[in-house]
Amino acid sequence: MPGEACIMGLFKDEGKAAKVIPELAAAGFSFRRAHSPIPSHRILEALKLKKGRVGWFTLAGGIVGFFTGFALAIFTAVQWNLIVSGKPIVSLIPFFIVGFEFTILFSVIGNVIGLLVCSRLPDYQGLESYDPRCSGEHFGVLAACEAGREGELMDFFQKKGGEVKVFA
Amino acid sequence: MNTTMPPVEPGRRAAPPGSLFTLGAVLAAAGLAAFLAGLFGPHPQRAWQAFLINFLLWSAMAQGAVLFSAVTHTVKARWTGPLSGLAGAFAGFFPLSLVCFLVLLIGKNHLFPWLHEDLHGKEIWLNIPFLFTRDGIGFLILYGLGWAFLSQDLKLRLGTSGPGGGLRRLLAGRIPQNDADIQRVQSRKALWGGLYCFAFAVVLSLIGFDLVMSMDPHWVSTLFGAYHFVKAFYVGLGALIILAAIVHLRRGRRAGIAAAHFHDVGKLFFAFCLLWADFFYVQLTVIWYGNIPEETSYVILRTVTPPWNALAWVVFIICFVLPFVVLINRRVKTMPGAMIALCGTVILGIWLEHLLLLGPALNHAAAELPLGITDGLVFIGFLGLMVLALAYTLKTFPELLPPGSEGAR
Repeated sequence: MPGEACIMGLFKDEGKAAKVIPELAAAGFSFRRAHSPIPSHRILEALKLKKGRVGWFTLAGGIVGFFTGFALAIFTAVQWNLIVSGKPIVSLIPFFIVGFEFTILFSVIGNVIGLLVCSRLPDYQGLESYDPRCSGEHFGVLAACEAGREGELMDFFQKKGGEVKVFA
Repeated sequence: MNTTMPPVEPGRRAAPPGSLFTLGAVLAAAGLAAFLAGLFGPHPQRAWQAFLINFLLWSAMAQGAVLFSAVTHTVKARWTGPLSGLAGAFAGFFPLSLVCFLVLLIGKNHLFPWLHEDLHGKEIWLNIPFLFTRDGIGFLILYGLGWAFLSQDLKLRLGTSGPGGGLRRLLAGRIPQNDADIQRVQSRKALWGGLYCFAFAVVLSLIGFDLVMSMDPHWVSTLFGAYHFVKAFYVGLGALIILAAIVHLRRGRRAGIAAAHFHDVGKLFFAFCLLWADFFYVQLTVIWYGNIPEETSYVILRTVTPPWNALAWVVFIICFVLPFVVLINRRVKTMPGAMIALCGTVILGIWLEHLLLLGPALNHAAAELPLGITDGLVFIGFLGLMVLALAYTLKTFPELLPPGSEGAR
């Protein structure tokens, strides 16, 4: 936002990064995002996020896949109408295998789509305020403040034991 | 499995209240009375059928629950926490199971339809002396390994004082004193645990072939043994969840069983719900493709012909559809009350599934389901035996209870 400065506090300790997140608001700064090199339950808890909706995409994908698998098997069978070993053309017992496989496939696809939609990926703008050390040994907490309070925010991060990186 | 866990004073953990023993005894007495009444009634074969079904079900629960402790130790799982000790407590049912197996010998004329049939060469395998000898040896090996595993586990848990019984003193005298001793006990525990897992698969397969599949002696499914031991683990997990939930509901947070424990074991229960259904389906598909009358008649009788077809749908819904739909939800798995209801329903479903597998062979041309009050009471009687076995084991070895259990209510 115009008139706003973004500063990232970089912490080597996961606990310090998690502790800083709720304290930002109390100090009058705005939390923007957190970067972690590993899945961190402590940071997740500090963020107090609502439950994601990715699971619903997965479930929807699975249900659609189950019926798509059956439909595909039935469709291909009736194209040929070949009776094999006296079995019915449309045989639900073996078609269940196709239905099952499609359930898994579409669930995975639904999951990936859900992840992309809910995470709003790809996010090229976010790369402007990213530090490569967050893919290594640092936990990054990005915060914003009004123009003129950059010094206060930098002091805040440094007092909490972090390094500071300022983004334009 | 925490190898460095310091010994905990047994007095810090609550022994099961005495009312549990009374409850177990009353239930067991009710079941025994119903069984005896059935034996001397007009249809003694119905009483024996109920006895066999419940023997298989409750033994499978105990065997499956102990498998949880053994297998999680073998794979060095660290998420089990207090569940491992609770699972081990089910070994207390093993002696009762062995006695019940020997009781089956008395009812052999009512239980094995093939005794009066021409078996076309299968007599070498299907004869009473050989069947009871091999199955008896199988149970002795399985239960011996289970107790050997549990004894090593207890050596690591036992304190130097506490309620003294003969069994407890026997183990307490060999408590590891130093790191080398602990390592030695750990190695033995891993050995017995691994062997128990192996024996579980072999012995439960044998029991599935001998006491369930052989009731239709001309029907063969090579996968039936695996189906039987997967089912045993499924109900074993259900029984363990019920026990853990009861401990949690009685003692709250002091029990030390966190929501994460219920979530994790609930996922395992969900997985074995799928695996049980998968093994059923795999057998069905092969039989369906082969379309051989000797094989299809078994399935048709149980899934298409009244009165069994309705029961088949009930079993399918209770044991697969219901837990599948419910357990998709994450939160349900962390709710002890809901999990008691769900696991109890699944166990009832597996009880009915045993009736579905054994009933048609033991009740030829049945016009209605052979299910009555005697069957229910015998079920309750075995429930009483399980309560007694668990209460006795947890009273003798309170270390199997979660460390935070500080007092019975």
